Amino acid sequence: MGKRFGSLDAVKNFSLEVGDGEIMGLLGPNGAGKTTLMLMMGTVYRPTSGKITVQGYDVLEKPNSVRSIIGIAFQDPRFDGILNGYDVLDWHLKMTTSLGKEERKQRVEGILKALGLWEARGKRTWLMSGGMKKKIEDAKILAQRPKVAVFDEPTAFLDVPSRLLVWDMIRKLREEGSTVIVATNMMDEAERLSERVAIMNLGKLVTVGTLGQLKDTLKGGEVLEVTIGKDGPRLEDEVLTQFKEVHHVNQVDNKILVYLNFGRLMLPKIVEALTSQGYKVESIHLKEVALEDVFLTYTGQQFE
Amino acid sequence: MVETGPRIQSPLPSGNLVFQMARRDIEVLFRTPWIIISRGLAFIIQLFVFATLISRLVSVSGFFQYYAVGSIISMVASISFIIGYDIFEEAEEGVLDYLLTLPVSRRQFIIGRALGGAIRALIYVTPMFAVVAIIEGFAQPASLAAAMAYLFLLAFGVTGLSITVAVSVRSANRFDVFLALMELAIVRASTALYPISFMPSYVASIAPFSPVSFASNGARSLLLGPGLDLSTLAGLLAFVVVFLGLGAAFYFRKLEGGVYA
Repeated sequence: MGKRFGSLDAVKNFSLEVGDGEIMGLLGPNGAGKTTLMLMMGTVYRPTSGKITVQGYDVLEKPNSVRSIIGIAFQDPRFDGILNGYDVLDWHLKMTTSLGKEERKQRVEGILKALGLWEARGKRTWLMSGGMKKKIEDAKILAQRPKVAVFDEPTAFLDVPSRLLVWDMIRKLREEGSTVIVATNMMDEAERLSERVAIMNLGKLVTVGTLGQLKDTLKGGEVLEVTIGKDGPRLEDEVLTQFKEVHHVNQVDNKILVYLNFGRLMLPKIVEALTSQGYKVESIHLKEVALEDVFLTYTGQQFE
Repeated sequence: MVETGPRIQSPLPSGNLVFQMARRDIEVLFRTPWIIISRGLAFIIQLFVFATLISRLVSVSGFFQYYAVGSIISMVASISFIIGYDIFEEAEEGVLDYLLTLPVSRRQFIIGRALGGAIRALIYVTPMFAVVAIIEGFAQPASLAAAMAYLFLLAFGVTGLSITVAVSVRSANRFDVFLALMELAIVRASTALYPISFMPSYVASIAPFSPVSFASNGARSLLLGPGLDLSTLAGLLAFVVVFLGLGAAFYFRKLEGGVYA
């Protein structure tokens, strides 16, 4: 599917399927089209081409059905600043669920206490700090417990304990049966939360897979640091490059750097190859490829 | 921690959703009571200083009565325009995106907002209307109720017009200017505050078609005599239908096309 604004393709030729009960991470640099994609899922924007279905409901043909099963926590908190935190959540639940007054009260109280906001429940939200507002935004969806929950940068502006707490609550939401999509720029968030990660750039889906799959797509993305005994002969590269997973070998004194894929699987084979050639392996350390490396490779970006 | 339990996902019945949307706009009013108080004071000053003074200067008999009813009507129109500012601000701040993800159909949304805006305008002017009714001795309950219905229809149509403008104009400056001009056109080029016979010909030719004129003439006919004027009622109803329809149509086409992206 795609979305065009004038001459700009905000989302183009995008195709992705998110499994029921899955946590999907959506990674992309600023302006990649993540928010546009979410707004189309939420029936705010109409796709200009293709089709989006949410739990089998087409967003164009059955928008009301889609709206009744989806909940979106926006990157920037979006609620009436004149309302206090309690009223924001209560009104959201009133609109999105059929919970009675008492049930809503219990649920709002539970979520506000869990997020440490109970004492500030009567404070108008426009007077709250950025972190508090963000927690209220997340709380809307955590309290709603929709079948499809979408979080845009759920822990932006939050301190470390709050981030861990929100991640835990998102996981719990999934355990209760929600399908979760987390759009984020934070690699650690994507790594900790997601079962699969989709990377977007310039409105297109550039890759999707589990963290392991994505890391393994980078040629020689992992580095095995091997220290061998100082007395032995210099290592012939062929001893290790005989394996197709090994892309490059670099030896400095008795330290060997092996650039490879599937490092964990290859580790015993490499140790065996070295020892069979008479090298004494003193230490071995596998440095795994980070999600940052995958992200930067696929989006063509560089660290500044 | 959050309690677990059955996932309840059925939205409210549709009538209730419209009511909740309307209620949201009305509740915002009650959270800022100083606005009602300041508007009320401005109206009292307008009535007891300006209207009294002008009625002594002009030779038209019963002008104070004429002006008092007309100022209520023009105030309803002015206040009903506020919903457009609210929607424009919500769009700028992203709150509108949130509202559009709620399980409310677009039809329910626009009717709810127009209804909320209209009821809000009525709540604003009811105390002022009561003051005018006491001063002028309007005591017929049926006439008062029918005049309130006129006020409501006008408010409902103007909120539709205001929503149409809010979802059609992108620039904040252009929006402010456009809405102010629109308000000037339908309020000032109307028979709310001065009789048509005293207007310059270029204003007199368009004033009878202003919805504010329909409401003013209709309300005066009810309160001052001779009674219900069906032509003004028909004009007002046409205005409501056209602008609520236009508001909905512009809304569907512009907003969902991503005008605020």
